[in-house]
Amino acid sequence: MTRLTRFKLSAYARSHRLFQPAIGLLLMLGVFYSTLTPPGKELSAYADSAGLLIVVFAWAARSLLDTEPAAQRLVSMTAADGPGREIGAGLLAAFTVNLMFAAIAVVTPLLHGFAATPAPGDVARGAVLHLLGLSAGTALGALTSHPIMQSPAASMLTLFGGYVALLLVSLTPVGRFTVPVMPWMRAANDGALDTVLLPVTAAALFWSAAGLAAYVRLRRTRP
Amino acid sequence: MRLSQVSFRYSRRGPWILEDVELALRPGSVVEVTGRNGAGKSTLLRLLAGFVPPTRGSVSGRPRVVGYAPDVFPTGQPFTVSAYLAHMTRVRGASPAAAGDLARRLNAVHLLDLPLGDLSKGSAQKVGLIQSLLGPPDLLILDEPFAGLDEQTRAELPAVIGEIAARGGIVVVSDHQNQLREFPGADHCLVADRAVTVHPAARPAEQDPGPGSEPDPGPGSERDTEWVLGRPAEPDPDPGSGSGSGAGLGSGSGSERDAGRAAGQGPATDRRAVIEVLVDPDEADEVEQKLRADGYTARRIL
Repeated sequence: MTRLTRFKLSAYARSHRLFQPAIGLLLMLGVFYSTLTPPGKELSAYADSAGLLIVVFAWAARSLLDTEPAAQRLVSMTAADGPGREIGAGLLAAFTVNLMFAAIAVVTPLLHGFAATPAPGDVARGAVLHLLGLSAGTALGALTSHPIMQSPAASMLTLFGGYVALLLVSLTPVGRFTVPVMPWMRAANDGALDTVLLPVTAAALFWSAAGLAAYVRLRRTRP
Repeated sequence: MRLSQVSFRYSRRGPWILEDVELALRPGSVVEVTGRNGAGKSTLLRLLAGFVPPTRGSVSGRPRVVGYAPDVFPTGQPFTVSAYLAHMTRVRGASPAAAGDLARRLNAVHLLDLPLGDLSKGSAQKVGLIQSLLGPPDLLILDEPFAGLDEQTRAELPAVIGEIAARGGIVVVSDHQNQLREFPGADHCLVADRAVTVHPAARPAEQDPGPGSEPDPGPGSERDTEWVLGRPAEPDPDPGSGSGSGAGLGSGSGSERDAGRAAGQGPATDRRAVIEVLVDPDEADEVEQKLRADGYTARRIL
């Protein structure tokens, strides 16, 4: 599966599809840190970044999973000894790319963006929030990829509409039971992230896992 | 490898593509799959390859190493031929020399440095064949492999198929052009009306019948069964002349008519129609092959 993952990553990089979400990432980071974040507000900035970059993570996952033509996916299934490994390799490649994007998002403000270097604990919390964001984004991107949604227009609308819906729902009282983007942003802004970090992590990982499970299930009849 | 009571449809409310298919593929067998466009040939290949699970029924005994060549190789990938094959070789865990050896054999060495996107249809088909043969496969599935191939590769491919079968592999070929009709020992599979009808390999006496010496399998034979299951009646404008060319099982023969009568289908003339088709001489071979692949008897009247 590792070798197939490398093949998919190589195809993604060579196809230049990587540039689209990468440009999106850099633009958003440019907006986030166009003015220096004052000391003490680093965790709040990280929380906003992790929540708002979900759409970039989803875009990256979708474009990576769409890189291979349909017939090549079938070839890859036989080469990797089964559909499960092809699906797993695709998700692993998507997570790898998004991990790289998340690392850029966490490190960039340390180089330019924060007025002062935050405490290591805040950097770690920021990294955890970005991991939650990339999990949710990867699941959303997978569910809108070509094997699941044949129409590019419907796929893009679902991706961006799904992300906006995610934000809006997380504003409501039931937000804590979905991917709790707004709750983690508010808690970080109020300096109370530690008190909600565990339930926020559990909810975000639960919904990400549910989305990925749905993707794997749908791929059984959509090779 | 066995398909037991396999039925398939793409969605819960969609139409059945295949229903209650029973198929046993023994090691060393070569199976040519024919049928009209949209009959379900590709779906059958997908089930055999394991790309999709059957909606009902089961597929058992699938060999571990499967090779698959799609009908249209996906050239829209950002690799040269050699880089692509190197990746596929690594994914399969095959010998690094395997791709080069196959490229030499299929006359594709000159393609290795080309980008996939620059390949012609036939050249792309060769790359698809090469990657499917890395392994080497115990189950090889080829979807229209002869389309666009040059003469040399077209002649070499049956030999490659024979070698895989000789070492115990199973080869399944969707072959609309009926290129394997003369392949010794090849079984023929017709996909039609959601069913799969198996025509077992021709016996030596059946492969090259002389004029007027067509074998009659007699009641109860496999060929009787094919007729009863609804093979198309054969339009033979000149019954007294024998079947002429294409006496293999895939193209039908006069003995099927005899078998049909023996199976109680009534006079075959009641179910025959003769359609005259005028085609350009350059296209005659192709049209004749397509008609035969679809289960009809085609005769050239010059």
